[in-house]
Amino acid sequence: EDAAEESNVSAELVAHRKRLVDEWNAWRARCKRDIAEEKRSRGQKLNGEHHEEEKEEIE
Amino acid sequence: MRLASVDMVGGVGHERSLTQIKFNAEGDLLFSCSKDHIINVWFSHNGERLGTYEGHNGTVWTIDVDSQSRFLVSGSADNELRLWNVSDGKCLFVWEFPTAVKRVAFSDDDERVVCITEQRMGYQGAIRVFNLNRDGDGTNQSQEPEHMFHPIGSKATVCAFTYTPNLVLTGHESGKVALFDVVSGTEVLNNERAHMDIVTDLQLSPDRSYFVTSSKDKTARIHDTKTLRVLKTFTTETPLNSAALAPNKPYVLVGGGQEAMQVTTTSLRQGKFETRFWHKVLEEEVGRVKGHFGPINTIAVHPAGTSYASGGEDGFVRVHHFEESYFKAKPYGDLEIED
Repeated sequence: EDAAEESNVSAELVAHRKRLVDEWNAWRARCKRDIAEEKRSRGQKLNGEHHEEEKEEIE
Repeated sequence: MRLASVDMVGGVGHERSLTQIKFNAEGDLLFSCSKDHIINVWFSHNGERLGTYEGHNGTVWTIDVDSQSRFLVSGSADNELRLWNVSDGKCLFVWEFPTAVKRVAFSDDDERVVCITEQRMGYQGAIRVFNLNRDGDGTNQSQEPEHMFHPIGSKATVCAFTYTPNLVLTGHESGKVALFDVVSGTEVLNNERAHMDIVTDLQLSPDRSYFVTSSKDKTARIHDTKTLRVLKTFTTETPLNSAALAPNKPYVLVGGGQEAMQVTTTSLRQGKFETRFWHKVLEEEVGRVKGHFGPINTIAVHPAGTSYASGGEDGFVRVHHFEESYFKAKPYGDLEIED
């Protein structure tokens, strides 16, 4: 049977799952920052930065 | 788990067990290699065989395809690493070594290939990195690797490039997972106890910041690429041969199973050869899919997350297309999970 059908879960389990997801999402945000920094240190221009620089040149 | 399955039907397929399968970046093609010395390429949507890459004289242990679907690399028990032209099946270059090639992988920019050669008959196990010449028709390659080193201690079984240049991830026979600087050949970080037995597969997340491994210790694990910390563990009842991450869904797919000879009781026969789906964050099982008559050796998920394929000891490659209900299902409520 698929666990996908499951619906009757305790409030404790719901809170536990929420904590795991929050931890995961916070870690994913840190990873994305690390990768952006890594690329910057390698001299690769990120898309966002590139646009800012272009605007400065226009001014 | 609602699925529609497609068997690979074109031609004879494979006559012996599968060793590795890989989707290309678009997901329209599926590559498979086998102990029958042949590499096949299939249309993933209907299972029709598009072609073969013939030339190896031994088990083809490993394959990888670049992000442009231009070049394919393969490693074999005939001690060769080969470069192939994907579109016409032509072999472009052959590198020869003293021992078998057990694992190959492209870098994310398609410029480099890393490979593991086996420790055997007085030869040390080696990791080599080749700089690919992508100009011209691809036949003008250097025989010499850009970097080469011998990992000390336990044999390396699997490898992949990280998002950091010159840093390669390895999995080992002892269960160790490590990071090597390919320039100096030094082990810059390791987790000796990542697994308790042979690491059988290693597949990275799309941004390469984390990866999933499978092991004969009956677990699959998710690790942080930067720290090699184990983040998640998925515990099963059988030795595992492969683990894959499902894009756009928080699932890990694992497969394995024991050889028939090792099975002593009928109870052990139950549910051995299923692909099992786990929630990668909550570490809870969400479904199982049958489909093979022997151990599952290799699993790959379509890059868009719309289907997955498994290759078995039974010689079959199966592609399973997820149905509508799979994409709608939110087994644990509305929690939004970052990919």
